[in-house]
Amino acid sequence: MRVGLFVTCLVDLMRPSIGFATLRLLAHAGCDVIVPEHQTCCGQPGYNAGDHTAARELAIKLTLEFADCDYVVVPSGSCAGMIRVHYPTLFPDDSEPACRVRALAARTYELTDFLVNIAKLQDVPGSFSGNLTYHDSCSGLRELRVKQQPRTLLAQLPNVTLKEMAQCETCCGFGGAFSVKFDEISSRMADNKARHIHASGANTVVAGDLGCLLNIEGRLRRIGDQATRVLHIAEVLAGEEGHVPCK
Amino acid sequence: MQVSSLKFQRNAGKSLKNKILQGALKNIEPRFVGARREAISHLEDFEAVRSRATAIRDQVLANLDQWLIRFEQEAQRRGAIVHWAETAAEANRIICDLARQYNVKKAVKSKSMVSEECGLNDALEAAGVQVIETDLGEYILQLAHEPPSHIVAPVLHKTRDEVSDLFELHHHLPRKTGIAELCQEAREILRPHFISADMGISGANFLIAETGSALIVTNEGNGRLSTTLPRVHVALTGIEKVVPTLEDATTLIRLLPRSATGQDITNYVSVLTGAKAADESDGPEHFHIVLLDNGRSKMLGTKLQAMLRCIRCGACMNHCPVYQNVGGHAYGWVYPGPMGSVLTPSFAGLAATLPLPNASTLCGACAVVCPVSIPLPDLLREVRHQQHQANLRPWLERKVLAVWAWLALRPIWYARYTGLMSRVLAWLGGAKGRLTWLPGVWTRERDLPAPAGQTFRDLYRKRDKS
Amino acid sequence: MSARENILQRIRSAQAHAVVPEVERIIANPVRGPQPAPVANLVSRFIEQAQALSSQVLRVDARNEIPHTIAHYLAENNLGNHALCWPDFLEWDWIAARIVVAAQPASADDAVGITGAFCAIAETGTLMLLSGAHTPAATSLLPETHIAVLDSARIVATMEDAWDLLRRERGSLPRAVNFISGPSRTADIEQTVTLGAHGPARVLIVLVS
Repeated sequence: MRVGLFVTCLVDLMRPSIGFATLRLLAHAGCDVIVPEHQTCCGQPGYNAGDHTAARELAIKLTLEFADCDYVVVPSGSCAGMIRVHYPTLFPDDSEPACRVRALAARTYELTDFLVNIAKLQDVPGSFSGNLTYHDSCSGLRELRVKQQPRTLLAQLPNVTLKEMAQCETCCGFGGAFSVKFDEISSRMADNKARHIHASGANTVVAGDLGCLLNIEGRLRRIGDQATRVLHIAEVLAGEEGHVPCK
Repeated sequence: MQVSSLKFQRNAGKSLKNKILQGALKNIEPRFVGARREAISHLEDFEAVRSRATAIRDQVLANLDQWLIRFEQEAQRRGAIVHWAETAAEANRIICDLARQYNVKKAVKSKSMVSEECGLNDALEAAGVQVIETDLGEYILQLAHEPPSHIVAPVLHKTRDEVSDLFELHHHLPRKTGIAELCQEAREILRPHFISADMGISGANFLIAETGSALIVTNEGNGRLSTTLPRVHVALTGIEKVVPTLEDATTLIRLLPRSATGQDITNYVSVLTGAKAADESDGPEHFHIVLLDNGRSKMLGTKLQAMLRCIRCGACMNHCPVYQNVGGHAYGWVYPGPMGSVLTPSFAGLAATLPLPNASTLCGACAVVCPVSIPLPDLLREVRHQQHQANLRPWLERKVLAVWAWLALRPIWYARYTGLMSRVLAWLGGAKGRLTWLPGVWTRERDLPAPAGQTFRDLYRKRDKS
Repeated sequence: MSARENILQRIRSAQAHAVVPEVERIIANPVRGPQPAPVANLVSRFIEQAQALSSQVLRVDARNEIPHTIAHYLAENNLGNHALCWPDFLEWDWIAARIVVAAQPASADDAVGITGAFCAIAETGTLMLLSGAHTPAATSLLPETHIAVLDSARIVATMEDAWDLLRRERGSLPRAVNFISGPSRTADIEQTVTLGAHGPARVLIVLVS
């Protein structure tokens, strides 16, 4: 399986360890992975702000970059959702470029969905031990039906106890630009999430989207919680070796 | 009602700090979200009912003119008089004229969001008619001079204490504190008004084309009293409310109370057709139905058409995490939450409602519960797109996104910029690995975890080489 | 052009097609939505649902037991011995039960209203009342206590069945069809349900086998 990794602009800039963890998982699953060098952004920020033109241009670029992959795998429900669900609405006609974009969309997957349903991964290389709770990022959950997949993968770690939190499906308040345009509401939503994390009894919170993780971690630290670990599902599943090589 | 949606940001900020409101909003989860979940579970196949309900609404919207004509024909054959109003002002004029025609001194009202949309009460009072809201929540709002904060539970934002205060002030009776006592007092105060009113004004949850009937759901009985005792009944509602048959109305009634209040059925479902017959002892002598457009027909044939399926259950706002935290008043008009963020721009214009479709993370919780499958996040995106096409997006946002798009299309520049950002942010984060201050608003109530100092792309290239 | 013409014109110009819908055919062939699973015992299902909505249900085997059953209920609940009723009920033996009935239009002072019901719906424990010269709507609305006399043979499974029954037996709708599912209630204050809002605070269903 020739898999293209779309690392996402947020992971690229803010937490490369997620990208390396994803590579490790895909290699472990027996995939032939390529990382197209000139990838940048899927176009969601502009799209969600109502700018279809910029989004279309970035979609065409992405489609070209990943043209010769059997699959595109993305460690983010929101970017995978943008490609898989929204690219086709931006290219509904029958022209050649539109067909190519739609074909690419159809073979784009969020990471855990790919590992469980396509790669059919039976074990994961990580060795995380402890209790953790899982936050269901909205786009993955509602656009891509990512719910059971991360839990199935976490269950393959023998020393992990999953403590579901109340309201695990409630939005954390990130929402991209929302987090700065309506920062007071966003922070309140992150605060609610922090309370539920604490109430769950878990000392680690895991999710599939870095935007959520930055929002949640940002609030946890501000209210004085330096202890709760905030990790991406790829990091937990890939193990210590998935981290960024020290430089 | 005046649109004050431009103040959303400020009003939302006030709501977040309002401890009384925050306490009241905590009721949403158990009473609406939990209750709905329980009631929906009583249906063997919710998706099948939802699918049929959606098809019914779409069938009507595809030929709305024909269904309205059929409804009008049958309603008039059965003795009702049907009026058409293009605007809110016209609807108010029609109803004020009717009040004049029938020498109406007092009107009792059963809850109607469309009448709020029109500001009907103010128009009637200016015309010399005393208007009494009889739905308990709406009555409380009338005393408090406040607009509703929810389309089903209008005083969701008020506590029992606040109601006790209002009643004590306005009724001049000893202060009641228990909820049952307060309800009893309201019943006693309002009862004489039902008896002495000349006109009853209601909305209509559905208009049934087959029988020319208006269907009204209530729990309190004020809907029945307002439409039975006074000699004139006026039903005011939107043109999109028509449904083909009694069976179709019944399918929708299986979903409306369950989605709204978690009831399998509302206490009263009244299907009203025509005026009273000569030998009947109760019922209105005259039945008038006012069909309001006010921007609804303009939504047909556009990407927002699906919004017209709405049956006003309120489930979307009940499940919206933004609404759950700020309540309804922040939205600045009659219709709050997700549905309000699509309708208000459509009715009041994009410029007057800029914040609304943006005050959402597009989490999709609303679409999951909508009983008529309205794709609310898609519609919110569409309104944002309309704002963009109309050049209404804030200047700074447009500039930032333009720069971002420019960079994203040029990988070399992109790599340079992001490499630099990563280094700067890592340096600012210091040993703690996080930033407690950054220009802009992110860090007002949150830290920003710092990045590693190099981008994935750079690290991968280096690792690849080694 | 009138408002009506303007509105219809705007609607028509938004339509992408010129297909004339079969409005009359659709109306002549109403389609039921998904129905609840059939219930073995409609009567017990109705009673269960009605009680869940705070209606009280008392069963009698014959119509001549009704006045005494009602008298007993009124006494037990300190509701006096005066009641309004629908004209058709005047001929029952109220005197023996020591209840004073009158069949006049309801007023704000009436404490008890006794009505029949066109039929009842088991799915939701709902009574269906039709307005009419001999079945005034206010009798079930103004008094604080509503007593409904219901024949158990008139319990149908769903609201759709109730509409079919109405079409078969009456042909067209009366001025008001009122579906009643228990005492009036409100939850407007702090989302806490309170029984007894503007309509009756008490509903008794006398179920005749």
